[in-house]
Amino acid sequence: MFLFGRKKRRRSSGGGEQPWHSADRLNDSVVDGNLERAVGQIRGVLGENDDFTIRRFQVFGRFPAAMLFYPNMIDMTSVNSEILKPLMYGPPHVEQLPEKGGELWDFLLETTLYHSDVRSETLVAKVVSDVLRGQTAVVIEGVDKALLFGTRTIDKRSIDQPATEQVIRGPREGFIELLSTNISLIRYRLQTPDLRVKTMEIGRRTRSKVAICYMHGITNPELVKEVTRRLDLIDVDAILDSGYLEQYIEDNQLSPFPQVQYTERPDKVVANLLEGRVALMVDGSPLALVVPTVFSQFYQAVEDYTERFLLMSAIRWARLIALVFSLVFPSLYVAIISFNPELIPTEFAVAVAGGRAGVPFPAIVEVLVIEISMEVLREATIRLPQQVGGALSIVGVLVVGQAAVAAGFASPITVVIIALTTIGSFATPAYNAALALRLLRFPLIVLAGIFGLYGVMIGLILIANHLLSLKSFGVPYMSPLVPGSPNGMKDLFLRGPLWWMNKRPKFLYPGDKTRISDQTVEDLKEPPNNVLEPAKMETNGKK
Amino acid sequence: MKQAKRITTVQVAAIMTSTIIGVGVLPIPLFAVRGADSGAPLVTLLGASVAFIGLFLIARLGMRFPGQSIVQYGEVVIGKWLSWIGSIGIIGFFAILTSLTAREFGEVVITSVLTETPLEVTVIVMLMLAAISTRNDITTFAYIHLFYFPLLIGPALLIVALSLKNADMVNLQPIWGNSHKDMLASVLTIASLFQGGFIITSVIPAMREPRKAMMASMIGLVIAGGLYVTIVGATVGVFGSEETKNLLWPTLELAKATSLPANVLERLDAAFLAVWVTAVFTTLFSSYYLAVKELSKLFRLQDHKMFSFFLLPGVFSMAMVPYNILHMYEIIQNVGRIGLFVTIAYPGLLLVVAILRKKRGEPSEERSAG
Amino acid sequence: MKSGLRVRRLLLSAFATSVVLLLTGCWDRLEIEDRAIVLGVSVDNASPGAAKRESEISHTAEGFPVPNVNMIRVTVQIALPGKIPLGPGESGGGGKGSEQTVWVIGTEGHTVDDAIMNLQQQISGRLFFGHLRVIVVSEDVASLGMQNINDYLHRNPEVRRMAWMMICKGSAEKVMRAAPELERVPALYLMSTMDNAVKLGKFPENYVGMYWSNTAKQGQEGYLPYVELKKEQNIEVKGLAYFKDDKLKGMTKPFQVAAYMSIKGMNPAGYRGVVKIGGDSEMVMIYATSRSSSIKVRMQDGEPIVNVSIFTEINLEEKINDQFTINDSASLTQIEKQDEKSLKLEVENLIRQMQEKGADIFGFGEYVRAKKPGYWNARIGSKDRWQSAFKELRVEVEVNSKIRRIGMKAK
Repeated sequence: MFLFGRKKRRRSSGGGEQPWHSADRLNDSVVDGNLERAVGQIRGVLGENDDFTIRRFQVFGRFPAAMLFYPNMIDMTSVNSEILKPLMYGPPHVEQLPEKGGELWDFLLETTLYHSDVRSETLVAKVVSDVLRGQTAVVIEGVDKALLFGTRTIDKRSIDQPATEQVIRGPREGFIELLSTNISLIRYRLQTPDLRVKTMEIGRRTRSKVAICYMHGITNPELVKEVTRRLDLIDVDAILDSGYLEQYIEDNQLSPFPQVQYTERPDKVVANLLEGRVALMVDGSPLALVVPTVFSQFYQAVEDYTERFLLMSAIRWARLIALVFSLVFPSLYVAIISFNPELIPTEFAVAVAGGRAGVPFPAIVEVLVIEISMEVLREATIRLPQQVGGALSIVGVLVVGQAAVAAGFASPITVVIIALTTIGSFATPAYNAALALRLLRFPLIVLAGIFGLYGVMIGLILIANHLLSLKSFGVPYMSPLVPGSPNGMKDLFLRGPLWWMNKRPKFLYPGDKTRISDQTVEDLKEPPNNVLEPAKMETNGKK
Repeated sequence: MKQAKRITTVQVAAIMTSTIIGVGVLPIPLFAVRGADSGAPLVTLLGASVAFIGLFLIARLGMRFPGQSIVQYGEVVIGKWLSWIGSIGIIGFFAILTSLTAREFGEVVITSVLTETPLEVTVIVMLMLAAISTRNDITTFAYIHLFYFPLLIGPALLIVALSLKNADMVNLQPIWGNSHKDMLASVLTIASLFQGGFIITSVIPAMREPRKAMMASMIGLVIAGGLYVTIVGATVGVFGSEETKNLLWPTLELAKATSLPANVLERLDAAFLAVWVTAVFTTLFSSYYLAVKELSKLFRLQDHKMFSFFLLPGVFSMAMVPYNILHMYEIIQNVGRIGLFVTIAYPGLLLVVAILRKKRGEPSEERSAG
Repeated sequence: MKSGLRVRRLLLSAFATSVVLLLTGCWDRLEIEDRAIVLGVSVDNASPGAAKRESEISHTAEGFPVPNVNMIRVTVQIALPGKIPLGPGESGGGGKGSEQTVWVIGTEGHTVDDAIMNLQQQISGRLFFGHLRVIVVSEDVASLGMQNINDYLHRNPEVRRMAWMMICKGSAEKVMRAAPELERVPALYLMSTMDNAVKLGKFPENYVGMYWSNTAKQGQEGYLPYVELKKEQNIEVKGLAYFKDDKLKGMTKPFQVAAYMSIKGMNPAGYRGVVKIGGDSEMVMIYATSRSSSIKVRMQDGEPIVNVSIFTEINLEEKINDQFTINDSASLTQIEKQDEKSLKLEVENLIRQMQEKGADIFGFGEYVRAKKPGYWNARIGSKDRWQSAFKELRVEVEVNSKIRRIGMKAK
């Protein structure tokens, strides 16, 4: 079972009231009307921080109060005008202000405060945790509840093109780090009451908010339950990125293949939600996770569905070929050159022998050395700043490769093969799958170097067997190819026309199975209505 | 571990076909022409029919006891001790079959492709591959066979189609051949190539619809048998029966003599061998899985994983027993004959006794079978 | 459990050691530039005194005695790596002769394998036969028997069945050393000569694999192309060399290959012929474009009679002179009839010639075996008996010609 090897984690109460170090003594203390005591407790927990402000004032000029907040995390203007001002000034249209603290509460809420997001809280610990989230707390002498305002405003970057998944045709919006914005990007695309968003807090020190999104009525409820269960079990210090979450909820951590897909594009998330998957988003990470995943998702791109199906099917084939290339090409080269040169035409064989004549190393060593340098080069280009990076990649590939050949260090055919392989690996839309295939190349090359073609076959059989035994939340990784379902084949190698794919994928066991109504499918089959046909129009005009 | 009963009929057919098509693909034309010269395709067909009888018995038996495999219902039918003898015989036979298949595979590889590699290495690598793969449960087992099934059929048919342009119909006549002295021996040898079909006794307990087991296994047999007949026909058609008798692995020579149009790839035999490795793997996988699984059931264990590496040294040493390739083929012939007895006579006996004693298995939903 | 952990550790270390052991030997890895790619092989009789010259590489006087056979000289043509560029090559690189692109070297031995081992002793790279395309055997060796050559090549897994084997007049080594201008690599030139001959319809497709198949058949004999080296270092296809069992029995003339191909119905057809209609000056050249034939066997008085009916389509290529006109279908019919007569004569001659030698290269025996198995099983049953029965076989020939095209000229 998938939990094999993981230690059992201590259950936390759903949503994250987890004890902190400095707050242990605050466990049950409440705001009880004593202003100084409450403020003292809070300041004791939070320690000496220069970015924590306590603003003392008097409500209606009479009741001492204090406002506690982190000024860098709040919307200062709204705090000033909607909280401080009405609290200090008092509502202009009311003559009689309350005298005692006990009546103050309702009065404030109903007539004074202009702010839309107000809550009350009695537990001091909760007040502290909310202030840490960027909310503003107001404690008033004589009132036994603290007021909490939702004033969280954190500087964020603007919504921009997703950096890793760019398309020609399709929306140009990508997720940003703030969870609220991301959820809004999804909500406006799915303006239906069926979209449900549940949040949890995971991570003791980061208290990262994690949102689980699913479509009620489409997503199988067992799946949602399982996702929630796995998330509940996580009891760690920090969740800094969705990638951390991915590793904790994966079925098989040892496999090189990803069982969770991630994306930066809201339209992709929405499409997956509509198929019956569950999306996970983490505050602070622009990448959303989508589960469960199957292998065929890794070579499908968004553009496949926005463009015409015949052309996109051909392009999808090109992508598949590139994927296969990036895996087996170098090992096939090593196998054929070192073990079975009779497979290539005679003239070519002799020319290759000529190209290799000056190279001191055997083919496998040569290929391994160039492959490793290619990987190093790739890592280097990722970290370089923009201006230098572009030039270096061209320099790296062309000049260094050419120089290596001229120096007799590598044969020209090897360089061509490696270059094609590298380019092929970029054609895979999903970076994590491309990474897996890229790295699986190396064992294949080693096997090819020992056993030739036979070794390549052994390696491929091992990889295929592994893929076939992998499951993602119970869904076999190679669906829909392996538990063969004819419906699923429509989107596997070719992209069938949209009106063909009128059912949701069976392997997700969705609630509502149809996507396109039969009427639309029927209508599409009717011959087109030639409205502006010249023959018709001309005769009509002449009349 | 609880087994899911999720294997579909299509998967069963795929399992049957890919198990049967294995290492025997290479020498089968030789066996066939030894029996009847140009009547080789006919001999193959007869061999397939003999195998058909055996398979029919096994499928009938399995359908009668849908939740159990042969080890388990053997006990029900003829009592514990007698069935233990039969079951041990089956398990031992399939362990030996695994070792011989691996050995034959190694021989082909070191003769035609990797001439310097020691035989032990090729054999042990293949056996380890099979052993690692048997650690999965039966649903993954079915997936693996289903996945490799088109990879076997496609290239085989391609090579046959491409070679037909060199075939001469005269080579295939007379249809029943000229000399028949060794025909029976050949038919039996070819029938023993289908023995892998016994795997269905392990598969039926995990099927979604055991009633369809007969149809699925028949389809699997027809496809595998059809492929064998086609290959034999193509080989004899291209080379003639006499030349085929000269070749140790005629199918390989057929691939060697074929080229893609416009001479894109010249000698397809290395590529063919690569595909054939997959075929051998599926066969080895099945027979090893059968041995391991039934052994674990014999000892009433839930988990068969520990046996997969446990049996490995034994199987490997058995694979090293024959001295050389001709000795190996003699052993294969004899073991094949014994195997026919084990895989046809014993189930036949069980079926007859079961009918007489009116024993039947429950179509079990609760049994943690498989 | 602790013991479980220990067992796992043990297994892992065993696995790791075995992996390390495996990795230390990539036994079959032989880099392409370390191989000596043999493109062509030639076999001749050795010159006298060869036994004395030979070093004791595969045999010694006492332990491994010398086989008591005729000594042969084997020459191989090895491709020089890098000297055969794929692209347009340097100027002047192609025309300088074969020394630039291949290396031809030979040695003597008692059998083929013996000679090749002697050769390997002298060459640094390992001889690699995966790209062997041509095998040239001299007449003299072939008359003594091809069995040894056939067996060696058959057993070697590297040799492909699509190579060309040919019998040559005179010294086979000279053919190996020939360096014609048209092609960079001589062996490939030989190969393209044969391939083009097949495409032009001058010779049937007869790779060494097919030759082996034919030789093995009970009712057929093998045949090979017969070539001769000409002055300009080019090779001429001089006909069919026909065999009985493994021994060369004789050669046919080039035109007789057409007769053979007609009998077997092989396409494309490529031979031209001169047809006389009427007087000496009324001759036309016709060109056969396609053929089909059907061979039937029937029994008469307990003996088989083979009936060969041939259909050819011919083009009118050339009129010898203008003194007669061809502008109506009657004259075309006349040409057809004449062609039929000539072809029938040729075919019957060829068959008779083969019957004298007892070499059934047409495979009539196979047809008898296939269509009349009762007769075959009872009366023949083996290759030798067919060879003698073939001599008395009655063969009927019918030819049907049709003129398809007459070119662009109207008369």
